[in-house]
Amino acid sequence: MKKYKIVLVENDEDEQVFMKEGFDAAGLFEIVAQVRNGDTLFEWLNENKNSLPDLILSDLNMPGKNGYDVIHEVKTSPIYMHIPVVITSTSSTRTIIEKCIASGAADYIVKPETFVEYVPYVQNLYRRIEEKQLVK
Amino acid sequence: MTMIIDYNLLLQGITEAIVILDVEGYVTYSTPAVTAITGYNPDQLLNKHVTVFYRTSADQVKAEYELDLALKKGKLLSEGWRFKKDGTQFWAEMYISPIFDEERKLLGYSCIIRDVSQQKNIEIELRQNEERFRLMVEAVRDYAIFMLDETGHIVSWNEGAQKIKGYSRDEIIGKHFSTFYTSEDLQNKKPENELKIAIATGKYEEEGWRVRKNGSVFWASVVITVLFNEQNKHIGFSKVTRDLTEKKANEENLRQSEERYRSLVEQVTDYGIFMLDEKGRIISWNEGAKKIKGYTESEIIGKYFSIFYPEEDILNGKPAYELKIAKAEGKYEEEGWRLRKDGSLFWANVVITSVYNSNGVHIGFSKVTRDLTERKESEKALHESYERYRIIAGELRVTNTELSHANQELEQFTSIVSHDLQEPIRSIKSFLQLINIKLSNEQNEDLKMYIEKAIKSADRMKQLIQNLLHYSQLGKTELVEETINVDDLINEAIQNVRTSAEKSNAQITVENDVKTVEGDRVQLVQLIQNLLSNALKFTDLKSPKIKIGGFHEDGHVIFSVSDNGIGIAEADLNKVFEIFRRLHTKKTYPGTGIGLAICKKIVDRHGGRIWPESKPGKGTTFYFTLNEEKEKLYQV
Repeated sequence: MKKYKIVLVENDEDEQVFMKEGFDAAGLFEIVAQVRNGDTLFEWLNENKNSLPDLILSDLNMPGKNGYDVIHEVKTSPIYMHIPVVITSTSSTRTIIEKCIASGAADYIVKPETFVEYVPYVQNLYRRIEEKQLVK
Repeated sequence: MTMIIDYNLLLQGITEAIVILDVEGYVTYSTPAVTAITGYNPDQLLNKHVTVFYRTSADQVKAEYELDLALKKGKLLSEGWRFKKDGTQFWAEMYISPIFDEERKLLGYSCIIRDVSQQKNIEIELRQNEERFRLMVEAVRDYAIFMLDETGHIVSWNEGAQKIKGYSRDEIIGKHFSTFYTSEDLQNKKPENELKIAIATGKYEEEGWRVRKNGSVFWASVVITVLFNEQNKHIGFSKVTRDLTEKKANEENLRQSEERYRSLVEQVTDYGIFMLDEKGRIISWNEGAKKIKGYTESEIIGKYFSIFYPEEDILNGKPAYELKIAKAEGKYEEEGWRLRKDGSLFWANVVITSVYNSNGVHIGFSKVTRDLTERKESEKALHESYERYRIIAGELRVTNTELSHANQELEQFTSIVSHDLQEPIRSIKSFLQLINIKLSNEQNEDLKMYIEKAIKSADRMKQLIQNLLHYSQLGKTELVEETINVDDLINEAIQNVRTSAEKSNAQITVENDVKTVEGDRVQLVQLIQNLLSNALKFTDLKSPKIKIGGFHEDGHVIFSVSDNGIGIAEADLNKVFEIFRRLHTKKTYPGTGIGLAICKKIVDRHGGRIWPESKPGKGTTFYFTLNEEKEKLYQV
């Protein structure tokens, strides 16, 4: 079973902690970086052009460059455009999901009810990546 | 002797040729006149048989028969073509008488020859003419032409008579002409009376019903003419009859059709249709004209049509001009004001058409008038309703824009509720769940930290909700418009941020040229206060410098709030006013991301613009204007 290299973009520090726990427990992904917003994501990508991730999982609502900015900048970059961006957010509002997909997001996954439920979330994410063959 | 000389002279002078024949018919003597008539001189004729004047010798039999007949009857007139010496013929009258001696012994015959060719030719021509006329009359098929004797009996019959009346010549000749009359006419002795009138006046003429052989009747045009001979003696009548049944039918059709059109025109009520004579006098009138113009037929017939025109038109000679155009161009058409009998005006569509009779002679005009007042009014109403709808559409457009804004805000609100408000709830729930798990496992470490984090999230949530309510209230409450002293406004805002300004050791200066502005005092204080807070927040310096400016430019007022803080990247300049948009993480520069959104909303409500200008690392200036839309309105 392939382990995907993933970058997590999330501004909430508490959430970052629980996210990491969930991903580690599931053992399906290798977290190559955890950044707090779009600005820091692109700083990181810029410094790691030789070992780019298979996937970017980004929160939508963040100070600085938010999720929409991340999609836009990845999809318009000749270097990063091949990296799928999956948006994750507390919102399950249809218009918001559609807006993300229309902007170029590879997928949209609603965040778990509480921080302690990240393991099934991660398993679901992995299943969807496989089903949709998001990672080329 | 003298007697003999006398006879001789007599014989020589007579223009008729006298030829003496012997008993056998040979010429024994002829007078000189014979030469003029026959071309032979007397010597040449001597001993020639009388048949020398006949065409062939075979005529000798005829000649001998004539001589015999003359002998028996004492005299004979023989008429016929005789031949001259040169072969040409002449119409001869030959009086042949036997000559006897005293003993009654036949000596021969005297034969007097007259050339009557001329009379004969006239007679022949006459007869040929008559024949031609007869043939012509007989051949005429469309007229029955026949002759009656003086008592009214039919003596001739032509082709037309046979065709019209159905009788053949043999059937009808000798019958009385009353055969053609209806029994009613016969009872009234019409035939006899017609003849009497014809005799008295020379001619009788009428149209009436006549009867055919098969009993059917036909409408006949009859002319009976009295005929007199050269001696002026009444010898009968000529009768010419024409079958007018078809014409009669046509006339009837025409009459009915005219009647139909007349009643049609008379009964039309939506159009005034009437006729003018060539001078413009009214000669007919219909229901529609009565309805539209108010005059009855008896009131208006004979009046000039200018009666329908307003005085000004009459003074301008408009009625006459219209007729002139109609006559010259065949038609005049216009819309204009016309007068009713009661003096009221109506808006009329008028068509005047020049009318000609079948011979192309101009006999007048037809005039068709339609009252368009109603149409005009409905047009006006339509126009008014169009105007009304245009205004409504305008209002709708404004409403639509407002709705669209509201919708946008609603979408924004959805986004806020689904993200910003859910996040702290989710945090609180997460920590409570963690505490629950820890307590179940009887693990007491970290519990206090989880509780503190949950309280912090709840605080943040409260702050968000308050700001959101504040923001949404901005759009709902009516602006309290008043004239505000700008210096007071700025001072109040500075006063409100004094605590944080002192804390950050900030230096706030004011350079204001603007005396007063129109607007909502509370909101404008908030606007300046938020900009000041923003300037105070985004700085790394020990003593930030903030400058508030107010000046006039291009006819309106511009205010500015400048700082020497961290600045805004150019790509982010257009994001600063988005609600809950934070350009920095809350750890570096805390906030809810609502302050500038509120500024934008206040400026929007005051009809102004707000925009930042910035150099990253050097500082930012926020500019705003007020009442620009209002100023534009005033200029218009």
